[in-house]
Amino acid sequence: MDENDLNSDDEIAIDDDCYYDFFIKGDDPMDSEDAKSREGSGQKYTILNQADIRKRQEDVIAAISTVLSVSGATATILLRHFNWSVGKVHEAWFADEDVVRKRVGLLNYEKQLSDVNAGDRATCGICFDVYPRYRIFSVGCGHPFCRECWGGYISSAINDGPGCLTLRCPDVSCSAAADRDIIDMLALSDDDKKKYSQYLLRSYVEESKQIKWCPGPDCEYAVEFDAGGGGDDSWDVSCRCSYSFCWNCLEDSHRPVDCQTVSSWLSKNTDESETKIWILARTKPCPRCQKSIEKNGGCMHMTCNPPCRYEFCWICLGDWYNHETCNRYNEAADVEADKNREDAEKHVTKYTHYFDRWAANHSSRQKAIAEMQRVQSVQIRKLIETQGKAEYELLFITDAWEQIIGCRQVLKWTYAYGYYLPENEHTKRRLFEFLQGEAETGLERLHECAELELNQFLVDYGSPLEGFKEFEVKLKGLTMVTRKYFEKLVRALENGLSEVQVSGTEEIGQNFPMASAEG
Amino acid sequence: MSGGIARGRLAEERKAWRKNHPHGFVAKPETLPDGTVNLMVWHCTIPGKSGTHWEGGYFPLTLHFSEDYPSKPPKCKFPQGFFHPNVYPSGTVCLSILNEDSGWRPAITVKQILVGIQDLLDQPNPADPAQTEGYHLFIQDTAEYNKRVRLQAKQYPPLL
Repeated sequence: MDENDLNSDDEIAIDDDCYYDFFIKGDDPMDSEDAKSREGSGQKYTILNQADIRKRQEDVIAAISTVLSVSGATATILLRHFNWSVGKVHEAWFADEDVVRKRVGLLNYEKQLSDVNAGDRATCGICFDVYPRYRIFSVGCGHPFCRECWGGYISSAINDGPGCLTLRCPDVSCSAAADRDIIDMLALSDDDKKKYSQYLLRSYVEESKQIKWCPGPDCEYAVEFDAGGGGDDSWDVSCRCSYSFCWNCLEDSHRPVDCQTVSSWLSKNTDESETKIWILARTKPCPRCQKSIEKNGGCMHMTCNPPCRYEFCWICLGDWYNHETCNRYNEAADVEADKNREDAEKHVTKYTHYFDRWAANHSSRQKAIAEMQRVQSVQIRKLIETQGKAEYELLFITDAWEQIIGCRQVLKWTYAYGYYLPENEHTKRRLFEFLQGEAETGLERLHECAELELNQFLVDYGSPLEGFKEFEVKLKGLTMVTRKYFEKLVRALENGLSEVQVSGTEEIGQNFPMASAEG
Repeated sequence: MSGGIARGRLAEERKAWRKNHPHGFVAKPETLPDGTVNLMVWHCTIPGKSGTHWEGGYFPLTLHFSEDYPSKPPKCKFPQGFFHPNVYPSGTVCLSILNEDSGWRPAITVKQILVGIQDLLDQPNPADPAQTEGYHLFIQDTAEYNKRVRLQAKQYPPLL
């Protein structure tokens, strides 16, 4: 194939500038289609399964292959090198084709096998055996290798990982690329080919800027995000596997808290320094072996664990047997150490406060998810029997559970937010704690109602129990009220609690009269 | 690569070497006490390049091939404690083309390895130090470094 003559049988034979413009606009052949499918739902992202991903990949490969008039395998090498961006490939290729070719190992011309091997037999450069010509292959650079050695070379590269996507000729200083056609032709097993193709697919997702794998456990979907798609600033994505996460930082959905806070919080949770602070606050080092000791009650006569067995006084850390009393005040005593311990203890108490609530909401949400599945699979069916309702009349129950699950997630992250909200911003803290408190109270009421009050209607008394209507009204009301509280909380945090600056007043209750929203 | 082509390839390498090899170099598979030849270990000699401080030295190098050869590179070792910035204290040579994760290609021959290591002797790579002493002298005290190199060359006179 003559890859240089771009205009030969190309319908779009126009001068370079227009050519270039044209393709920048048409960057992704899928763009227009996606935009349409997203417009309807107002969604800024598209969930892709393996087939969708492969289709997209083949489409961009086909686009490059047509425009540059190169083989699909060559187009693949180019795209992979330029992070699967059609625009970047065009830009670089039309700016200087030779530089691009050199960089990715595409030869301008096919070299024949070197003179020594020009006959009908050739020596393989790996096993050094002589083979008839038809069993010798080269990637256009003329370096001869036999079929078996190629197979082994390819197989070992594939088993070494995704580096096989940039495989070159086995010769020492040769940079000629071994493309996917060669792999297809010479790989030893279908297993190798499958792995190679999987690496290629992964490369498309992992190296392109608009697509990321869903981090959900065992999930095989990828999510394409259109950041320029307008709407709110949320990065929240709900995958088809039901996992919802932040597309930007790949942690679980954390609206209304920003990615930076989440990342600090999570690293704090796993940070050893917290452990150290805890140790400092709750323990004292053994005066002899320095091992940390936590005292959990009892008298002041301490005996360190074997092999140390040092006996000392917990109060003054003095040797127990040369110790009479330590009740007399000693000014020179280690005031500094006590101060440090106090500070550390205060810090730990604060962190523990937020962490406990963050973690409790996390596990409460997990339980709510399980509970909702039980509601959907068992309880709704029971209610249809005992209360004689139609399924659509019971949707308010699942609505309530969905609300609970969503709110637990928001509430959980507001505790990370609260931890980082500076303590000297008193007005902001008050507003935040007020909004969070209202939201939390509402959610607890809703959660309790959905969890406990429903139970009485599950028992079959032979006839519908009175009070179901009241239950329905109550649950619907709580769902609605809770939603409103949380909407306010989310809005306020996303604005960085800016209402405080505007109003400049301490009378929070008046500015945000949500307490009256409950009916 | 698959199914042990290591020995076949090494036999061919040996044949090619006997036909033609660079002057001053030695490369020979090891002979076991019972007289059989072990193709998987080669004893080699690399001459220091003339016109450099390495001149006059004939440095012994052992190549250890694995069954994965030539899929994986051989391990190349000078005697323990060999003085050179890119030789580990164990004697193992640190060179890009001998690294199975980056520079190694199965078409690299014993001859190319030996010539490559000869080049490395007088052109060390300061970006990739493998021993403290050689590296520090090389970057801090050229005169002392060269003295040590010449001294080492004298320790390895030609084997006659």
